[in-house]
Amino acid sequence: MMLAPALVGYAEPWWIQIIKSIVIFAVGLQLVPVVLIVERKLLGRFQGRYGPNRVGPYGLLQPLADIIKLLTKEQFRPRTAVGFLFALAPTLSILTAVAAFALIPFGDVQHIFGTRVGLYGVDLSIGPLYLFSFSAIAFYGIMLGGWSSGSKYSFLGAMRAAAQLISYEVSQGLALLGVIISAQTLSLTGIVHAQGGMWYFIPQAVGFLIFLTASFAETNRTPFDVTEADAELVAGYNTEYGGGRFASYYFAEYLNVLVVSGIVTTVFFGGWLMPFGIHPPGWVDPIVVLVKMAIITFLFIWVRATLPRLRYDQIMSLGWKVLLPLASANALLTAIVVVVTH
Amino acid sequence: MSYVIFFLAAIIAIAGALGVVMLRDPFFSVLSLVCHLIALALLFLLLRAELIAAVQVVVYAGAVMVLYVFVVAYIGDGSERLADRLRRGTVAQPLLRTGALLAGSALLAELLIALTGSGLKAVESAGAPYHKGPRAFGTPAFIGKLLLTRFLLAFEIASFLLLVAAVGAVVLAGRRGREDEEAPPQGAGAPALQGAAGGPPAGGELVEAAR
Repeated sequence: MMLAPALVGYAEPWWIQIIKSIVIFAVGLQLVPVVLIVERKLLGRFQGRYGPNRVGPYGLLQPLADIIKLLTKEQFRPRTAVGFLFALAPTLSILTAVAAFALIPFGDVQHIFGTRVGLYGVDLSIGPLYLFSFSAIAFYGIMLGGWSSGSKYSFLGAMRAAAQLISYEVSQGLALLGVIISAQTLSLTGIVHAQGGMWYFIPQAVGFLIFLTASFAETNRTPFDVTEADAELVAGYNTEYGGGRFASYYFAEYLNVLVVSGIVTTVFFGGWLMPFGIHPPGWVDPIVVLVKMAIITFLFIWVRATLPRLRYDQIMSLGWKVLLPLASANALLTAIVVVVTH
Repeated sequence: MSYVIFFLAAIIAIAGALGVVMLRDPFFSVLSLVCHLIALALLFLLLRAELIAAVQVVVYAGAVMVLYVFVVAYIGDGSERLADRLRRGTVAQPLLRTGALLAGSALLAELLIALTGSGLKAVESAGAPYHKGPRAFGTPAFIGKLLLTRFLLAFEIASFLLLVAAVGAVVLAGRRGREDEEAPPQGAGAPALQGAAGGPPAGGELVEAAR
């Protein structure tokens, strides 16, 4: 036959990989409600109000109440919807978000239980390309959801999402190229190790800003949330969704914010490395990563509370006429600098 | 395990490819093409070609097919079958048929020559051995080096071809945009008349057919 059983060379035995994936998934799952409540609380504060404060102490149980409300709702489907795709689309969204979460390294390889365990889901030689492949599939989650709803608002939202995702994915990739050229590796742990001297957000400041902006667009966050602009499109691609399926979209959106924070942390802010040459013991690594991720997530919420939504043509011209040339120039310049200094 | 994945991916790939040509609704055709491409990426992964698998998904499923989906969702309402549209089209039917047949058989011949030319040696082998390391088979470094040394000419020609295509698309789109801008003053309302008249004839045909 054509294929011998694959000789895989992962460092860990299979049972550690299973435990690892469960732990990372559990952590991601627990972080989403935290981000939800923090966002609502912070948005409240930014707008001079309290935010949710009825459920539980300080309103901290609000996400739990939301989830229970959503999950106990009736599964509703418009008559014009394409049933199979309508059910599939939110699943795709959540699947790709969780898959992308596996990429974020929470720490270096540690010695636990007498074996070597890398504190990450996967460490791939293709690194960021894995992220981009899943964000490519995530597009179909939004697109199919909007199309199969059989509603014009959903359809318009999905179309805007399509155009926006294509436009900004290019800049996002090119912005990372500068870092990859400097680190000379695509592996995310390798990129973290390469930042021992200086975190990349200083030499790659342009790349960092472009990546951050493009990431706002890729996660459909304000100021790039025309895909679900509630003033014009009701709720965009997820207008017709309710109950558990809407919860899936909601969950995927916030998990995507976490993934992007994780990638920004890893690629531009030194991952698990501490500043000023502090070398803490290994178990501190995940905490460092989580704190950095929290700061980036705070930035996401801050921007949402501060900036108004951009118009559609403004988004397109920003993506194609500003970010793309800047990102290309940044990659080119980095390449020249690396060649000259080596 | 690799057998399971292989047959799963192969079945999805073939089913997807069949779906592209057999499904009535163009939107579902495009979706099955996406399934096909993702299944191909899985097969590439089995062959330890990680970069090719990722590129397959990013470029084809993520960029090319997104545009297909975009266009088909906008203009392909699925109420009209593709075959019907072709039958009514301005292109002469026999010409189209022979053209398709010729192009298809040329592609088949090319593929067969490529397949048999290799003597199907790879079928019995286990694929590339797995090595851990940054420059092993299938990694970005490995493929990047090949592209910039052994296959440099082909690589550059391909990229030049794509550039020509991109420039051509921009020129064509720009020309049509200019015509649209110039047309209204010349035609003095003629396009609007045409647009308004575009609907009724079809309806008239239907009415006549019903009679």
